[in-house]
Amino acid sequence: MPSLEKCIDDEVDLFGGNEKQIARLKKTIGLDRRRVVEPGTTAADLCETAARRLMVAMDLQPTHIDTVICVTQTPDYSQPCNAAVLHGRLDLPKSCAALDVNLGCSGYVYGLWLAHMMVSAGGCERVLLLAGDTISQIVNPKDRALAPLFGDGGSATLVQRSEAQAQAWFSLQTDGKGFDRLIVPAGGQRAPSSRETQAEVVDDAGNVRSAENLFMDGAEIFNFSIVEEPKAVRDLADYAEVELDAVDYFVFHQANRYILSNIAKRLKIDPSKVPMQTVERYGNQSSASIPSALCGELGEQLCSPGTRRVLLSGFGVGLSWASVLLDLSQLSVCEIVDCTTSD
Amino acid sequence: MSLQKFIEDFEEAVEDIEPNSLTAATNFKALEAWDSLAVLTVTDVIDMEYAVLLKKKDFDCARTVEELYDLVTQVR
Repeated sequence: MPSLEKCIDDEVDLFGGNEKQIARLKKTIGLDRRRVVEPGTTAADLCETAARRLMVAMDLQPTHIDTVICVTQTPDYSQPCNAAVLHGRLDLPKSCAALDVNLGCSGYVYGLWLAHMMVSAGGCERVLLLAGDTISQIVNPKDRALAPLFGDGGSATLVQRSEAQAQAWFSLQTDGKGFDRLIVPAGGQRAPSSRETQAEVVDDAGNVRSAENLFMDGAEIFNFSIVEEPKAVRDLADYAEVELDAVDYFVFHQANRYILSNIAKRLKIDPSKVPMQTVERYGNQSSASIPSALCGELGEQLCSPGTRRVLLSGFGVGLSWASVLLDLSQLSVCEIVDCTTSD
Repeated sequence: MSLQKFIEDFEEAVEDIEPNSLTAATNFKALEAWDSLAVLTVTDVIDMEYAVLLKKKDFDCARTVEELYDLVTQVR
């Protein structure tokens, strides 16, 4: 992830000098620090750094990779896809498939699902799953509702065939009627970029954004999270015939600590099984938030001997939500690396 | 379900409100502490205590704590 760190304590001006409001946000929502890219660094750069580190750690040659999937909503270009760009930068073979998945918060689990199916069906031996975003770059810095929330990050995961018998249960869901609850309204084909769409507007709460900046209906997203996530987790556990008590870790998309602790409370699960510090350290990293939590808060555990039953669940933009319950045996590498602009 | 308990739950949900300072007639949107964060915390408490999930339009329609209580009672 990028090394530049921002802290809400240093953003008193953004809140009009209202230190009480900052204190409330820190205490209740859990906002604190986040990592953001410097101009010129993109999600593709972050993912490339992660991929190179993974390939060295796994002694993986480019020719070993059958497919590269890139999950991102902040690609370098509207076309070609990030996966194709990174295919070139990583010197992957022409026989390697490359595709993007245009999802955010749920995207990592969707990516795992695709990679899992590709390997399970016999079409691939090794799938390189890249997931990353630079949401800080599409949020208006004067939007005090959103600017302190989002951080940036990029990740690389190798999904490969093995002789070990392992099962994974996936659940993927969508509510397209909620598409406008978390959205960049303009700059795409529906509302092309114009002087009007770039004009900044101040909303009733004093947040500043243009139609080409990210907008989030916080109340609706909160309601969606506390209703759909607990249900999705319970339904998946029932489908897998696994008791929630038997799950070692619940790794949710790192939206914010308030939502995570709320979901844990509603599921009546032990909060010590739910990583929540990642979002406080690095911000909401969109598609990179789950791998960030795995590598950071759980890295040591996942790289130690043994098998852990882990439930991963991402929810958000779309509206889209996806969960997977799987047994993870000891991982070879699980770490966070800083990506400097010179990388 | 009692109005008094509802007022207590509302008070506990919102940060920086003096205990026992709210009444049924309080215009909650005029409180200094009323902001987008308070909408979330009040929504959460009402859902947990009364199994009613309020939307933003519900808060827009109600002016006083008692009007919000009436709305929750009707939905229940």
